[in-house]
Amino acid sequence: MDEKEIIKLFTYMVTSARGCVDEPKIYGPFRLIESISKLYSILKENNLIGNEEVSKIIEKIEEKKYSCMTDEKEFVTMLDDVIDDFVALLNFNKKQI
Amino acid sequence: MDKMGDSILDVMKKRRSTRKYKKENVSKDLLLQLIEAAIWAPSGSNVQPWYFIIVDDANTIEQVNAFSPGLLGDPPSIILICSDRKKTFEKAGTLGRDELCVMDISMAAQNIMLLAEEIGLSTCPVKSFNKRAISKILNLPDYVSADLIISVGYSDEITSTPKRRSVKETTFFNAWGGIGFNG
Repeated sequence: MDEKEIIKLFTYMVTSARGCVDEPKIYGPFRLIESISKLYSILKENNLIGNEEVSKIIEKIEEKKYSCMTDEKEFVTMLDDVIDDFVALLNFNKKQI
Repeated sequence: MDKMGDSILDVMKKRRSTRKYKKENVSKDLLLQLIEAAIWAPSGSNVQPWYFIIVDDANTIEQVNAFSPGLLGDPPSIILICSDRKKTFEKAGTLGRDELCVMDISMAAQNIMLLAEEIGLSTCPVKSFNKRAISKILNLPDYVSADLIISVGYSDEITSTPKRRSVKETTFFNAWGGIGFNG
């Protein structure tokens, strides 16, 4: 794994944390979601994740993440949908993963 | 280019903030044309407080990117608009340093983004960056403020048109609440 990519992710997250002190409230959720995109990208690049369901969730995130800047309601709906997806994915009783 | 026939209002309406760029470099000549547009912006007391740092070196962009959460879509070039706050204070006092400077930079930025649209480039204004880090990376003197980044490149996305508050909703004649529209 390219350590530099991990360091860049850490840098993104800490810079975001500092920015969120002063920035619009909606940027906080967006930065967290963007962190997921970046982390997924690193994991995928290094063949450390291959779950199809996760891949579909990430696609959903990628499609709607920028709506936070134009349509906050759409962004929040996407977050709720993604949470539902993760609930299904982490249904341990059914041992889906 | 067909776009040359567009009116300035058409260009304004077409401009979108782009967050996904093609891996295609923008020529230095085009980037300098954007700066030419910027320096014709008005400024308080005609201070022209701006400086522009064009970053088109991939390694430097990567460094800037790491400390700029708002810089999205891997642009091939960025323009950092800075202002000389010391010079502005000397000529225009605290009003100039604290308020006019921000307006001046904003007007220069709009010139850049409109000309970019006109010549087939896409842009996005970015304020979400860590000033402290960016100032260090780009060696800014302490009296120069890193105010705004504009990403510049060729768009690789279809952007939707955000809803606009109408003229009627946002405008009054002669005083707050004054009505001047037909009906």
